[in-house]
Amino acid sequence: MMRTMFKRTFAGAMLMGLLIPLLAACGGQAEPQVIRETVVVRETVEPQIIEQTVIVEAPTAEEGATEEGAEEPAASTESYTTPHPILDDLRVRQAIAYCADRSEVAKSVYSFLDDEQREELLMDTFLPKTHWAAAGEDDGITVYPFDPEQGQALLDEAGWTLDEGDTVRMNEAGEPLTLKFTTTNAQFRQTWAAVFEQQLLDNCGIQIIRTHAPGSWWFGGTTGLQRRDFELGAFAWVGETDPKGQTLYACNQIPLPSNSWEGQNYMGWCNETASQAIIAANNTLDRDERIAQYQIFQQEFTKDMPSLPMFNRLEVAAASGNVENYNPDPTEYYTKNIYEWTLTDGGDTVVLGMTQEPASMFTQNESAAVQRIAAYLIGNFGHQGFAFTAADYDYQALALTELPSIENGGAALEAVEVNAGDMVWSVDGDAVELADGVEVINADGETVAFEGDAITMNQLSVTFEYQEGITWEDGEPLKAADFELGNAIECDPEAGTISLQICNSRQEIEYVSDNSYTITYLPGVQWPEYSVYSLYAYPSHQELSDGRTLADVPADEWSSLPEIAEAPLSLGPYRLVEWEKGQRMVFEANPNYYGGEPAIQNVIIQFFEDTNQAVAQLLTGDVDVLGRETLGAGPEVEAVLQEAEEGTDLQVFTLASPTWEHVDINLFTK
Amino acid sequence: MTTFLVRRLFQMLVVITLSAMASYGLLYLAPGGPLLFLQQLQRSGPQAVTEEDIARIKARFELDLYLPYRFTRWFVGLPRGPITVGDQAFFSDLQVGCAIPGQVRLRYPDGRIEFIEEGCEVPVTMADLEGRDVSRGVMLGDFGDSQVILRDRPISILIESRLWYTLALMGVSTLLAILIGVPIGIYSAVRQYSRFDYAMTTMAFVGSSLPTFFFGIIAILLFAIIAKEAGLPYLPPGNATANRDYVIPLIGTVEARSTLDYVLHFIMPCAVLTFVNIAQWSRFVRTSMLEVLRQDYVRTARAKGVRERLVITKHAMRNALIPFVTLLAGVLPTLIGGAAITEAVFNWPGLGRLLIDALERSDYTVAMSLTFLSILMLLIGYLISDILYTVVDPRIRLS
Repeated sequence: MMRTMFKRTFAGAMLMGLLIPLLAACGGQAEPQVIRETVVVRETVEPQIIEQTVIVEAPTAEEGATEEGAEEPAASTESYTTPHPILDDLRVRQAIAYCADRSEVAKSVYSFLDDEQREELLMDTFLPKTHWAAAGEDDGITVYPFDPEQGQALLDEAGWTLDEGDTVRMNEAGEPLTLKFTTTNAQFRQTWAAVFEQQLLDNCGIQIIRTHAPGSWWFGGTTGLQRRDFELGAFAWVGETDPKGQTLYACNQIPLPSNSWEGQNYMGWCNETASQAIIAANNTLDRDERIAQYQIFQQEFTKDMPSLPMFNRLEVAAASGNVENYNPDPTEYYTKNIYEWTLTDGGDTVVLGMTQEPASMFTQNESAAVQRIAAYLIGNFGHQGFAFTAADYDYQALALTELPSIENGGAALEAVEVNAGDMVWSVDGDAVELADGVEVINADGETVAFEGDAITMNQLSVTFEYQEGITWEDGEPLKAADFELGNAIECDPEAGTISLQICNSRQEIEYVSDNSYTITYLPGVQWPEYSVYSLYAYPSHQELSDGRTLADVPADEWSSLPEIAEAPLSLGPYRLVEWEKGQRMVFEANPNYYGGEPAIQNVIIQFFEDTNQAVAQLLTGDVDVLGRETLGAGPEVEAVLQEAEEGTDLQVFTLASPTWEHVDINLFTK
Repeated sequence: MTTFLVRRLFQMLVVITLSAMASYGLLYLAPGGPLLFLQQLQRSGPQAVTEEDIARIKARFELDLYLPYRFTRWFVGLPRGPITVGDQAFFSDLQVGCAIPGQVRLRYPDGRIEFIEEGCEVPVTMADLEGRDVSRGVMLGDFGDSQVILRDRPISILIESRLWYTLALMGVSTLLAILIGVPIGIYSAVRQYSRFDYAMTTMAFVGSSLPTFFFGIIAILLFAIIAKEAGLPYLPPGNATANRDYVIPLIGTVEARSTLDYVLHFIMPCAVLTFVNIAQWSRFVRTSMLEVLRQDYVRTARAKGVRERLVITKHAMRNALIPFVTLLAGVLPTLIGGAAITEAVFNWPGLGRLLIDALERSDYTVAMSLTFLSILMLLIGYLISDILYTVVDPRIRLS
């Protein structure tokens, strides 16, 4: 027994003798001391402003509670502050732009378009050519037509030369001009990226090494783009009616480890002039001033070439030749003017096809295009599509008498004095009580910290006035109580609203009459799109099936309320009479529509799972209209275009989508 | 028999629980979900989203609860809050989730700074669950609310709206496939290597090799688009019913949503599914029948001078159909689950199309409910086939 025990102990000791050195060897050096600091998560981490000279101020010890005994690092070097050895050179970036034939790149994915149609898709700046804020060559922007000679000259000048017989340029040190190009693995991007790669190599000797990553990695919260893990990176942005752009291009929007990777300026591009211009453009309510600031921004943007706009994506919409006044638009849903449509064959029913079913008619909790297309038919609770529209990258009044603006007197910017305890809108974009240290923007546009003395700030008030005679489908007139209920529900977090920023920024709403109200914002609020921040309207008088009145229903019940989510009362040209889940929604003309009864009596929205089936029904005449949200630019589009070319009674519209492809150039390395 | 049934029901309970856990866990691991869009929202400007907004939305979808609690609330509707005995509440402070995760800033000696999520800034306790909406649990037949497709409204509405369509399509096509496929399989086996056998084997080979969407698209092209363009009688390309009245040559005007309209829409998806099922089942029955026909007792029966028809119907066929009973067990879940691809191709508003929609739109509660129903039906199917065994094969005793 003892012998066995001895043997086992001895064997164990031998084993430990072998394992301990092995483990020690594998373990390597001891982990360096890492200082852990707890962060109060609800406070926004102050973003670091990075100058182009790339010196980043190290966070100080006061920013967090340093662990006891931990030593403060002597020096700090932020990630992504080393200029990229190749792409930091402006000449190389411009050469890339000159060497790429973007028309050919677009052709690789839209081969069925003619040259003129393809040219319309090309972009020079971050805005489509037809946008109200877009700058052109006459406005001093730099354009990059396909010019390989110019590109080659710039590369030669930058020290990247091509020896005879070589295909890739080299510098004096013999290093090749090789760049990593990252994008998603979508077939669409694989196709155009292959052409782009070949063009840069053939035309200018720039070697591209492509990586097609899964979208989950490329667009992940902690990977890919958000961590700036690329040299050249391709993806798409979606343009809007308002040009915005501050979060994409301002100096304080560069994602860095020290700001918790906040921001979308993935290039790390910081041009002070451009940054100030885009911030100014987003902090003024004067449209002329905005246009001027965006022009400055676009001049700098195109000059520095931190991102190469490739092309607007294509979107196709189609309708039977029988439908008149169907007018699809890149920034507005096509049912915006359905009350104007007519059928040439005198029919009384138009069938719209959609490849997705709306989740709910409760607009404020939904953002899907299919929901808006359906909701516009019934007035969208008095919001976009009813009060105003957003066609062709701009806004137009519809039920509103006009869009309120400072220029037409519908809005006013008044200088007010604020003191301690007053509610104001801070620089960080929060509604706060004015107290020592709170930073606000004063009436002169300067950022100042409150120190006890009164500050003069700008206060915005906007009056919305609706046309006379607007009624609900049951004949009840639209009234102040409906807007009041709209505001109450929109601003109640229990109703499911995601962002409450606009609600929080309102100081007061005065209901001037049943068709007019004035919203006064907190001092400091400057929403560039104030003209369209109107209120929702809900029929406060509506009696529910359970006997209650809509105005009495608690907010948390609204999203599941059949009278709101399934069959709401209409303010629009049609009323919803039937919703067969998974099949169709049936609408009929609203006799109480303030704009008069529409020409077509019935509208049916047919839902499809498969776009092929939708196209088949368009071709057989079972469906009359397929919008851009359904057809998009998928393979089915070719069949539609082919049919139209063959003389079928079909109207086909090719639109430059607000979604645009571009190649971001990372100016820094880790 | 009673002992067998009790034992099987207990086993079913265990299998349902385990498979529900597995499928729930798999969907939990899948990328996407109702919070994905939050990553795309801006942190500044009029649509800015704060940590509180995110916490509120997470609570709405129960994503602030730890997985085990989320699962049990979905499965059996528990826990609903602290356990109360008299005036005493127990486990009130038990942490069951995290509303806002903690953040730690790491400073490395080389100056790098990194933020990581660690710990929990605002925990969710059992007391916080009180008052939250929760279903009674899928085990009690309450599937809860849809997260996307029918936002915040009961999944049962969705299932009810699709169930009849799936039952009709799958029921009729399955019945037709059995009625046609079984005799074909038997006849092919009896007349092995005949022209009929070769023809049927080739057809079955084609039918089981090519996917249903291929047949679907070809059928739409031939019988809907080309036929209509050629001025011939045609079939509607899809949907369960038409939106407008239409005219078919030789038939005349068909009123939308009439019985004739329904039948015309039903023909193509039903025919495609029937064809595919016939292909599979006739091959199965043929193989089984061939095996039985080579058995000694069949040879003995023939040697005894029993008439061939009796040998086939009485001796061979009954035994050849025993394995077929197992195959039938799989029919039950498809009756409910539907034929996802066929339904999608023909735009048939059934449960299969609903499942595809739920997966595409990351409506996990709907996808889970349909998966759960399929599991349940499969187990019931196996139970029925086990019982049917005793009917078709007297040698089998359930005890």
